[in-house]
Amino acid sequence: MRHLYLVLTACLGFAASVAQAAHTQAQLRWSVDTVKPGDTIWVGVDLKMESGWHTYWKNPGDAGQATEIQWQLPPGVTAGEIQWPLPNKLPPAEVTTYGYLDEVVLLIPLTVATNAPAGPLNLAAKVSWLECKDSCIPASTNVQGTLEVAGETKASADAPQLQTWKSKTPQGNTAFNFQAGWQSAANTDTRPLVIEGTPLAGTATTVEKADFFPDANDNYEIQSATEKIDAPTGFQLLKTVKKFSGGWPKQISGTVVVEGNGQRRGFEVVLPVADTAPTIETAAATANPAAANPTDANGAAPMAAQTLWHMLIFAFIGGLILNIMPCVLPVIALKILGFVSEAKSEPRRVRNLGLIYALGVLLSFLALASVVIGVKTAGHHAGWGMQFGSPIFIVCLATLVTLVALNLFGIFEVTLGGRALDTAGELASKHGAPGAFFNGVLATVLATPCTAPFLGAALGFAFAQSAAVIVLIFLTVGLGLASPYILLSWNPAWLKFLPKPGAWMEKFKIAMGFPMLATVVWLFNVAASSYGKNVLWLGIFLVVVALAAWVFGEFVQRGRSRKGVALAVALILLGGGYAFALEKELDWRAPYVEAGPAGSLKESAEGIDWQRWSPEAVAAAHAAGRPVLVDFTADWCLTCQVNKKTSIEIPTVRAKLKELNAVALLGDYTHFPDAITTELSRYHRAGVPLVVLYPKDASAPAIVLPEVLTPGIVLDGLSRAAD
Amino acid sequence: MKKTIAILAAAVLTTAAFAVEIGKPAPDFTGTDITGKTIHLSDYKGKIVVIESYNSDCPYCHNHYASGAMQELQKDLAAKGVVWLIVDSVGQNNPSYRTPEQARQELADQKIIATAWIDDHSGAVGHLYDMKTTPHMFIVAADGTLAYEGAIDNRPVPFGDPRTAKNYVSAAVAELLAGKSVSIAQTKPYGCGVHYAN
Repeated sequence: MRHLYLVLTACLGFAASVAQAAHTQAQLRWSVDTVKPGDTIWVGVDLKMESGWHTYWKNPGDAGQATEIQWQLPPGVTAGEIQWPLPNKLPPAEVTTYGYLDEVVLLIPLTVATNAPAGPLNLAAKVSWLECKDSCIPASTNVQGTLEVAGETKASADAPQLQTWKSKTPQGNTAFNFQAGWQSAANTDTRPLVIEGTPLAGTATTVEKADFFPDANDNYEIQSATEKIDAPTGFQLLKTVKKFSGGWPKQISGTVVVEGNGQRRGFEVVLPVADTAPTIETAAATANPAAANPTDANGAAPMAAQTLWHMLIFAFIGGLILNIMPCVLPVIALKILGFVSEAKSEPRRVRNLGLIYALGVLLSFLALASVVIGVKTAGHHAGWGMQFGSPIFIVCLATLVTLVALNLFGIFEVTLGGRALDTAGELASKHGAPGAFFNGVLATVLATPCTAPFLGAALGFAFAQSAAVIVLIFLTVGLGLASPYILLSWNPAWLKFLPKPGAWMEKFKIAMGFPMLATVVWLFNVAASSYGKNVLWLGIFLVVVALAAWVFGEFVQRGRSRKGVALAVALILLGGGYAFALEKELDWRAPYVEAGPAGSLKESAEGIDWQRWSPEAVAAAHAAGRPVLVDFTADWCLTCQVNKKTSIEIPTVRAKLKELNAVALLGDYTHFPDAITTELSRYHRAGVPLVVLYPKDASAPAIVLPEVLTPGIVLDGLSRAAD
Repeated sequence: MKKTIAILAAAVLTTAAFAVEIGKPAPDFTGTDITGKTIHLSDYKGKIVVIESYNSDCPYCHNHYASGAMQELQKDLAAKGVVWLIVDSVGQNNPSYRTPEQARQELADQKIIATAWIDDHSGAVGHLYDMKTTPHMFIVAADGTLAYEGAIDNRPVPFGDPRTAKNYVSAAVAELLAGKSVSIAQTKPYGCGVHYAN
């Protein structure tokens, strides 16, 4: 301080009275005590605001005014642009501004000419600001100081403080790939914009909060409200652009603010605005050329590849977990039976059967992937489990699973070479290669209405990718699903705990038929949503099929005489049942879908007062300042039903919803409506379940709950949403 | 406080979708003026209506009145049969709130020429029109559609002579009176934030 002094002077004239009324004090701070000619040093304009008063950032936002600094510099000193520390969004939300409470130091680089003579340089600046609390006051003051030019640049006592403020200014971006794009067409004078951030390779980045503070522009305004959506590989910020004049901006600039790991960082960006919202796919696409560039081989793994690896691991784990999801559980019965019957076989055969099972799973997943690719290519929305939206598929599957149950009950046999098998000793061959393959297919088919933890992220990723990646991810899920059985068949020793094959197996087999029947009941319930009361005729058809199966098993397979007549009876039953029940009465290929009733979808008198989901309903709830719980569910989604029973439609959650005055919205995905597919893809999901909580603070990011819920997760999420 | 902020935040998100739009019918409102009279926007159907979001403690508004520029504009437009509505949405707990009595005094002292000064301390009209700042200007055409929304002029500072600026309101009204469409129908409003209640 020996070499410089700081003087605060009140402004002259008009400003003098203002300075008295000012609630902000301005002061210069220097990063050095002495400076060597040719060096650039930092000078800070330190604004200290009284409690509750604030001054503004370079873009003040909806109101207010940026602080200005007008330098009066001697020859040989030049000042650069103001470096603004990251501001805060200041309430109220309806007039959101960007500014600083308590204190801010605006930093300016000062460059001293190489030919500057040694000795003191007098510097002065007029600092003008608008300060606001309950009212706004424009104020300005002259600040001045002396900078000592000497043989060396020596840091001052204030240097560490200035460095701290410097660290709060935007930094060079080495952490994210940012992109921007219009989410949809313009809506007269507003248009939704998506800004996406994807962490670059090799950066372990936790993003707890993220926002975008735009630079000021006279022709349009990027409004302050932000909705943050977490993506598996980054985040998206939804903003609204309001246009005043001219065309829609072709590029935007501003600062992306990211909070995480206790850090708050800002990155200045200038982003071209694409005609469509960025997706993970385009993010990966832009990263690829860089990765392919050999000069860029500085050890950083290509982001797309890294993401893909993550997603493949997720897909595998997700597939593994699928084994214990409720949809697949009935199939487990079949597999257990298969292993028991094979336990005594030679290891090579067991191994082969394991592989054939895996092959069944993988080929089914390949088929699913082809369907998804086909649907996507045709320009339609594709989604996980979408075949369950087709009542025709449901009817076929219900019939198939009924037959599986009847087969397990021993009503009829699946035969190869036309020979009936009815002794336990022969059971093994029945569960031979075709059986294993069929199990694999059935496991896959029944797995599709579920998503499991990890699987949601992987599938959400896959559905936005190229055909090759979809196939890769799907096959990996299949591998995950099949892996326990491949492992077991490779190490039959692990099966020693299983009892020896014997007569008990026939009983066990019959017992395992019951989970299959339960599956039929579930499918029947799903069909009911398509056929309404007419679903009765599906039930009747299934009974006729069962009767035909019995006639076939009892009089054709096990019969002694007149097998031809019996076969004819079975076929007539099947054909008649189909023609009358399915075609005539059910009109199964042209299901009518009941228009959903308006109003409450309450399930019981004291149940949650569900309302039908729509984007408007969410907006209306936001407007009323109520937190929102959205349950995207489907009749065919067993995980959803389990979640509902265990963790949503329960007394504690009902009470909490009431207490918080929360709105409960039900998005019914049973018939695969496009609106919900679109909404799911916004959260990078390809299927249900998806439970989203919108905090009542509409500017806070939506909370996406995991695929499998516990009451604790839901209650905790609701508490966060109510903050 | 937190709760109200959340509600307001929610309100903003939705007003973005339902806010007044240029070329669309300006939403009708009912307010009480500082003489106790009930005012409806629809009372003035067939006339051009200028709506001004007002708070004379705000240095931007203050400068327009202290310089006399605003009163000149008001006088000029009044002579052309244009209705001028002042909307004061400052909440009752704010030091800038004016009781009807204080407002009547201020109206006289400042020689304000307005058809009515609406005491909107509940913020109902302000929120309906998504008024951001003082001054935030709106012009409703004679057919009841919104013809202009935004700043009063292109000089967003709280000092100096506003007459040197391009006044968007006077330009838009002139175009409307000439039967033309408004060439600059939307600008970014500047000024202090509206000090709404809560």
